[in-house]
Amino acid sequence: MGVEPKYVVFLLMGVLSGFLFSGGVYAAPSPVLDLDHHSLIHETDARESWGDEVPGTEQPKGGSTGSPVLLCQVAGQVGMEEDSEAWEGGGASIPDPLEPVNRAFFQFNDKLYFWILKPVGQGYAKVVPQPARVSIRNFFSNLVMPIRAISCLLQGKMEGVGIEVLRFVVNTTAGFAGFQDVARQHLDLPLQDEDLGQVFAFWGIGPGFYIDLPFLGPSSLRGTVGWAGQLYLNPLDYMVEDVWANIGVRSYDLVNRSSLRIGEYESLKRAALDPYVSLRDAYYQYRIHQIEK
Amino acid sequence: MRKGFRVVPIFLLMGFLASTALAGEPTEAIQKTTDKIIAIVTDPALKGPAKSEEKAKLIRQAVDERFDWEEMSRRTLARHWQDRTDAQKKEFMVLFAELLEATYLDKVEGYSGEKVIYEGERSDGEYAVVAVKIVTQKETEIPVKYRMKKIKNEWRVYDISITGVSLINNYRKQFNSIITRSSFDSLMEKLEAKVKREE
Repeated sequence: MGVEPKYVVFLLMGVLSGFLFSGGVYAAPSPVLDLDHHSLIHETDARESWGDEVPGTEQPKGGSTGSPVLLCQVAGQVGMEEDSEAWEGGGASIPDPLEPVNRAFFQFNDKLYFWILKPVGQGYAKVVPQPARVSIRNFFSNLVMPIRAISCLLQGKMEGVGIEVLRFVVNTTAGFAGFQDVARQHLDLPLQDEDLGQVFAFWGIGPGFYIDLPFLGPSSLRGTVGWAGQLYLNPLDYMVEDVWANIGVRSYDLVNRSSLRIGEYESLKRAALDPYVSLRDAYYQYRIHQIEK
Repeated sequence: MRKGFRVVPIFLLMGFLASTALAGEPTEAIQKTTDKIIAIVTDPALKGPAKSEEKAKLIRQAVDERFDWEEMSRRTLARHWQDRTDAQKKEFMVLFAELLEATYLDKVEGYSGEKVIYEGERSDGEYAVVAVKIVTQKETEIPVKYRMKKIKNEWRVYDISITGVSLINNYRKQFNSIITRSSFDSLMEKLEAKVKREE
């Protein structure tokens, strides 16, 4: 297999790049492309972010009147709200020129979760006990070692490459084909959470803008390209070549993983006044955290 | 192999000694509150739905002692804070504190023997960051950072970040989005509705 899902992705990329080059999304200077700026936010100590919030440092909002109509307008107008948020200090926002579309996909994913993924995951969790599900998650995670190892390599994180290769050898043998994460438990070799999106960030490429992908959830332009690239690095695609079998295995992995995370999305929703904005920001802050590591 | 097992407890002990030696006041403060909350959550006398209100009250008290609601409110509203009257600030603070308490309760209530590991702190006398790692039963590790400020000789929490996601930054984005799109009053309405629903 391998081929057809990739076509879907490339189609998506095509649509996106078409949008990019026609819409002039980048016409407005984006505050988010500057990665060095962001590394300040989380790495600095508590006092740093304080300075921006001292009374009197408020900046004029320029043309952005905050009218809801304005903010929903076409690509040329976007970025204004992000700019004003960037002034707050303690975290800029990811540009979201596709917000109306993203909000629609957010709703789609929300329903997908509550109507299908959650009930299926809960039913599955009743049949398969938690330790077994953790083992299965470990198995799939061990399988995609090349993605993490190559992502480490492309960032020059040689220690990470070594750890990943060693983990794979140890877990595949002593860990019974990867079902047990003995490398972490007994050798203190933790999983290196690296992916191609982080590689691109390391190379100085900005996130572009926010995309809430149907089925896949929050991502950025950069993250989506990375995800597509990873389709070539995923051994699963070479091992299971039949399209439907491949989709089946991936779905099973997804259900298994979700069954271990039921409640997380609900708790985000319960805590949020605007779940869409909350998820978008949580994704963004989390990615910065991953990239900085 | 057998020898290896005997070495492990010694390392654990050494690690424990090292961490207590490094831990300063901010970590102690966090540890005190965390232990208190774990004691409440795991107290068999407070089990069952009949006792859930009492349990929530006790947790709220423990959290109240440690969290600085005013600092949190000011940081969350950011530039919208100084536009508010004192009455509005107070009203907001009360509601936001209730929302945060509910959020915190929500997270704590599902406690099922997760281990809390204190990983060190950074402090410059007035501000501090305490790093904690929570190890779940599902073999996942959740890094948590408490940002603290010393107020009247007490270390108070003004932000928590979980896997790099700052709670205050997250709420700031949401609140700013609501205020710039509609108004502060509409934010208050939404907050009120949210807090009511949580009860």
